[in-house]
Amino acid sequence: MEHYTMNLTLKVWRQKNTDAQGKFETYPVSGISSEMSFLEMFDVLNERLINEGKEPIAFDHDCREGICGACSMHINGRAHGPWAGTTTCQLHMRAFKDGDTVTVEPWRAGSFPVVKDLTVDRGAFDRIIEAGGYVSVNTGNAQDANNILVPKDKADAAFAAAACIGCGACVAACKNSSAMLFVSAKVSQLALLPQGQPEKKTRALNMIAQMDKEGFGSCTNTGACEAECPKEISLTNIARLNREYIAAGLSYEK
Amino acid sequence: MKWSQFFNTSIGKKLLVGATGLFLCSFVIVHLAGNLALLKDDGGEAFNIYAAFMSHNALIQFLAWGLKVVILIHAILALQLTFRNRAARPVKYAINPGNQTSSWFSRQMAIMGSILLIFLLIHLKDFWFQMHYGSLESVSYKGEEYKNLYLAAQLAFKELWLVILYVIGMIGLSFHLVHGFKSAFQTFGLNHVKYNGLINFVGVWLFGILIPIGFAIIPVVIYFK
Repeated sequence: MEHYTMNLTLKVWRQKNTDAQGKFETYPVSGISSEMSFLEMFDVLNERLINEGKEPIAFDHDCREGICGACSMHINGRAHGPWAGTTTCQLHMRAFKDGDTVTVEPWRAGSFPVVKDLTVDRGAFDRIIEAGGYVSVNTGNAQDANNILVPKDKADAAFAAAACIGCGACVAACKNSSAMLFVSAKVSQLALLPQGQPEKKTRALNMIAQMDKEGFGSCTNTGACEAECPKEISLTNIARLNREYIAAGLSYEK
Repeated sequence: MKWSQFFNTSIGKKLLVGATGLFLCSFVIVHLAGNLALLKDDGGEAFNIYAAFMSHNALIQFLAWGLKVVILIHAILALQLTFRNRAARPVKYAINPGNQTSSWFSRQMAIMGSILLIFLLIHLKDFWFQMHYGSLESVSYKGEEYKNLYLAAQLAFKELWLVILYVIGMIGLSFHLVHGFKSAFQTFGLNHVKYNGLINFVGVWLFGILIPIGFAIIPVVIYFK
């Protein structure tokens, strides 16, 4: 694709802290290369703001190669912008045309309070993982590889679920701010493997209890999460989570 | 895990909404099959005998009260979940993606369900209440007296506004079931490439199109008769 430069009008959500009232600020940016990533465009803007003695825009970013899940931006109504299966750092400015107005908001969910500007606190996800998203392993020597046989299709499905980077786009995209796609991926990656079986029942029940406690909405099967997930986690995981819940809930004795 | 705990989580409540929803889907099939007797040109004999059977048979009476309980559970839990879902996003987005990431039908379940609930109250007042507690004229077939519910329907649907209301109610039913039927299966964890196509087909064509049209056609035909 041919390289071009563009001038854009950015409308960015500015909020001093969690308790402050936020509002949109408008920033014209010029000379943006079509080969820049969306975050690099923000770097250009922030550099200018710093030079002008203004407060730069706070936004989360870490790896900038699409695998950390930090870059939580809701761009023109879409989690991580208009491209499917991408994080914000992998969204390039060639997705926009010269003269476009781009509106950037933080993830909106009561369970993800805004820390500052575009940065939100996704600690709720950590607490869900703490509730059961792990396997307990005794210390000692590592077992021989292939000691426990795993069918290829199960391994593939577990790996696809494990691709979840916990970015929160599913919550951001869901009209109910439901965390079901995240929880289903974290439950599935373990439920599909033999190593996940010992804690199978308590995992599903405890993670769902924590999910409800954090104030996430419930899933109404609209599929917006799957459409926005940068790792394209499938809705079949949510069906699996429902099965795990039913099986555990109907048989767990305590 | 206690039953009360099992049904008190977000998924537990959804399971109840899905199960009651599918029960109601089976009800609309039976209800439509009986109602089509209204279109039979026999002065109401078939329909009135059917209506008398439905309001006297003990098993059907039991199911009829169960049905009302099921509707209440479905509506109350769904509304409760909806309010909770709305509350989960206290600050709304300035820009929403619209149909880019989800189907319109899937986002209107609470609205369409509420339209249906209001329609249902009017519908029960118009016919069910009349049949059980109102004063309907009598008609006799082969020496037996029957309440003439057929005549009540023929008269009611001479009112244009009521016909329009019923058609709107059935549009609500259609839009609700296009997503609702298949959504229940996903909630039960029944998502399988081999069956998804069939579930989707039945949800859209049978419950979303055929059955609502079947219902809506009755008042329209009576109005123009």
